[in-house]
Amino acid sequence: MTVTAAAPAGVAAAPASSALLRVEGLTVAYGRTHVVSDVSFTLGRGESLALIGESGSGKSTIARSLLRLLPDAGAAHGRVEFEGRDVLSLPERQFRPLRGRSLGFVPQDPGSSLNAVRTIGAQAQEAAALTGERDAGTRRRLILDTFAQVGLDDPGRVYDSYPHQLSGGMLQRVLIGLAVLPRPALLVADEPTSALDVTIQKRILDLLSELRADLGISLLLITHDLAIAAERADSLVVLRDGVVQEAGPTAQVFAAPRSAYARELQADVPALNPDRYRALRETRAGSAGDPGSAEATEAAPRIELRGVTKAFTVEGRRLTALDDVSFAVRHGTTHALVGESGSGKTTAVRLLLGLDQADDGEILVAGEPVHGRSAAGLRAVRRHLQLVYQNPFTSLDPTWRVERLVREPLDRFGIGDRAERTVRVREALAAVGLAEELLARRPGALSGGQRQRVAIARALVLRPDVLVLDEPTSALDVTVQADLVEVLVRLQAELGLTYVFVSHDLALVRQLADTVTVLHRGRVVEGGEVEKIFATPAAPYTRRLLDSIPHPSGG
Amino acid sequence: MNASYLRFAGRRLLQAVVVVLLAYVFTFVVISVLPGDPVTNTLRNPENGFTEEEIARIVAYYGLDQPVVVQLWQSLSHFVVGDLGVSLRSNLPVTRLVAEVVPSTLALAASALAVALVLAFAVAYGTQNLPRRYGQGVLRALPSLFLSVPAFVVGLLLIQVFAFQLGLFRVIEPDGAWATFFAAVALGIPVSAQVAEVLITGLDHESRQEYAAVARSRGLGQARLFAKHLLKPSSLPVVTVVALTVGELLGGALIIETIFGRTGVGSLVQRSVSTQDLPVLQAVVSLAAVVFVVVNLLADLVYPLLDPRVRLDRAPRKAAGQPGPEQPTPEQPILERQVSVP
Repeated sequence: MTVTAAAPAGVAAAPASSALLRVEGLTVAYGRTHVVSDVSFTLGRGESLALIGESGSGKSTIARSLLRLLPDAGAAHGRVEFEGRDVLSLPERQFRPLRGRSLGFVPQDPGSSLNAVRTIGAQAQEAAALTGERDAGTRRRLILDTFAQVGLDDPGRVYDSYPHQLSGGMLQRVLIGLAVLPRPALLVADEPTSALDVTIQKRILDLLSELRADLGISLLLITHDLAIAAERADSLVVLRDGVVQEAGPTAQVFAAPRSAYARELQADVPALNPDRYRALRETRAGSAGDPGSAEATEAAPRIELRGVTKAFTVEGRRLTALDDVSFAVRHGTTHALVGESGSGKTTAVRLLLGLDQADDGEILVAGEPVHGRSAAGLRAVRRHLQLVYQNPFTSLDPTWRVERLVREPLDRFGIGDRAERTVRVREALAAVGLAEELLARRPGALSGGQRQRVAIARALVLRPDVLVLDEPTSALDVTVQADLVEVLVRLQAELGLTYVFVSHDLALVRQLADTVTVLHRGRVVEGGEVEKIFATPAAPYTRRLLDSIPHPSGG
Repeated sequence: MNASYLRFAGRRLLQAVVVVLLAYVFTFVVISVLPGDPVTNTLRNPENGFTEEEIARIVAYYGLDQPVVVQLWQSLSHFVVGDLGVSLRSNLPVTRLVAEVVPSTLALAASALAVALVLAFAVAYGTQNLPRRYGQGVLRALPSLFLSVPAFVVGLLLIQVFAFQLGLFRVIEPDGAWATFFAAVALGIPVSAQVAEVLITGLDHESRQEYAAVARSRGLGQARLFAKHLLKPSSLPVVTVVALTVGELLGGALIIETIFGRTGVGSLVQRSVSTQDLPVLQAVVSLAAVVFVVVNLLADLVYPLLDPRVRLDRAPRKAAGQPGPEQPTPEQPILERQVSVP
């Protein structure tokens, strides 16, 4: 299937050969396993195209085939024509001059994409050398100019820094700078923002759009985020298991997805469907709305923070992680803590769980104060309060079977005898919708969504009434994420759970939470009902966060 | 990093001195509790025919009638100022005896290390840069081959070929650069195997890293990628391995010296052990400790220069995840592993 992306009106008359990149029947295999099958698309000069798919869809493999960066075991067949030349069959000697000069690459994870033991400047010099400039001083100036152009504040300092001294957002800017510095004709950006905070994500995407407009660079954007693709790309190719599901101009795919998978993807993206779980949540509100419990919730919030302050001393400097933070969560509702890296979300959760001790202020769970000091007090708190971690790929012991993982909290708290524990493990597993056959499996044999369900089951097995969810879906694919959110909403309706939900994904917060506290540099910027705050944000920071939710133009 | 690096270096130096002194005390104690003492063995030997009076005088002269603690104190205070005492056998100052043999052994060990490093880096270079059809597989098999051939076998082979058949050097009273070179080759080959092994593993690992792919996308060829990107991070474990193999080099040097007929620390140790010449033994063991400590000190000092991420402050920060408000750390999980805390 070939996408002939609608050319801009002015260039419409240009012959078809003006296509910058033409991929025909691309197939990539590792041994006998095909990861990409018969993929075709075309990208014109100055245009942008997004490859969309979830993990394992082959989108990154396609990007790497174009750049000839596949590992040795991977074999690419088919035709990839770049500026009229077949990239796959060129000898390395002839392909190398294209690298960097004509084909720029922006990688996914800025933290691992620069050599940690060399300065940024030394690595930038490699990119600058591609311009053919011989004078090192001129090259340096070129680099500093580029750094300024991509919005790095102090180019000189960045030049002399080592990668570990810069933040992820800065490193991604550096990488984009290095990729555009030699003025390539095509920029291949592999999930350029998925490792970054939302507001930084927006700035990086804006930067890519600007560079595309200013320098006439074509953009091949690889992303799992349909909303981003819809907002940024002229045309889309939707992939699943290495096969093209649907392709065409963005507006068209978006308005009327023809394939079942594209429709599912579209339905699962939080930014596109703010009301997806409304019906489910209303059943919950109905059940919680009987007069008795309503009165009770009015009286005592399930969780309350009053003027909580916490400071850390890092390298001799005193940093206030939380400054006079207060909020309350009603029984059976979902409260979201929203903010970017370093906003204090994680510190707030640590204090809530008693892992750290607040310097000042009070934390109440079910009216009882939480102190990190006494072990007995903490035990009591943790019976009520359980945590679900961010990354199910690292939070479960890979050598344990599911049964033991879920049972462990019962063993630790000495609850019930063996038979009763078995029953409760099975209950918890059933509650999160996992089949009993999985009990004997180890995490390695589970998918990401299943692992996170195991993590939730582990938290539920103690029958707590509060779950603290620390970015519970951010490591997961969109469709998996949607499944998991559904499980969470259903559990809340069935068990009357209270959620404290930590997230940077405002679109998801809008779907899921009743109340929200927006944190910025340790302070509460704004708090209250989600609907009110999303409709009429008072603080500029909240508005900026809300603006960073992608707004697909094609919808 | 300069001020903090100097503070770090100073601290390490101080630790090194303490370790050397402790090693000296330890050796002294071990030697003093060993069965058999030289006084009984040599002086009371009827063949020597000393009278009890003479024996008492000699024992007093060497301070051997003092309690062990006092002896240790005296010995240590002399050691600190560089006085290693007098050999019981030859009555010569130990410093002189040691100084006669140490240069030869050090030269051998240092050349062996040089041979090992050159060989290891050459093999590693080959595995990364030669086209696959030119025997990458053979190069990768070399380290295990090197490791499985003992130094003395290689030594005998080298002597057979280069000394007896080609006549490049003599084995009796050897002299000249060739003699040292071939001894160093025999000694260096097994060490090179260990270095090459970690280096190749490191290079393979680094070349699979994302930054290597990104650097390639910037148009770097394999040779420049190797030299500019892969070599430095892969050399980090080499520093550690080299520091650890120094013991092997010293031990191996004693064997190789015997095979190649060289006078060195090996022959001195042999003589001192057989005659229970305790001051010499004490000196040699302390010297070995000094070499170890110095090499490890160098490794510690080189490490931060190779890897800017090595923290130089005294106490590593407690509990990795304490994100302060303005730290550019990515969002991190609250605990590394899911542990339900009772």
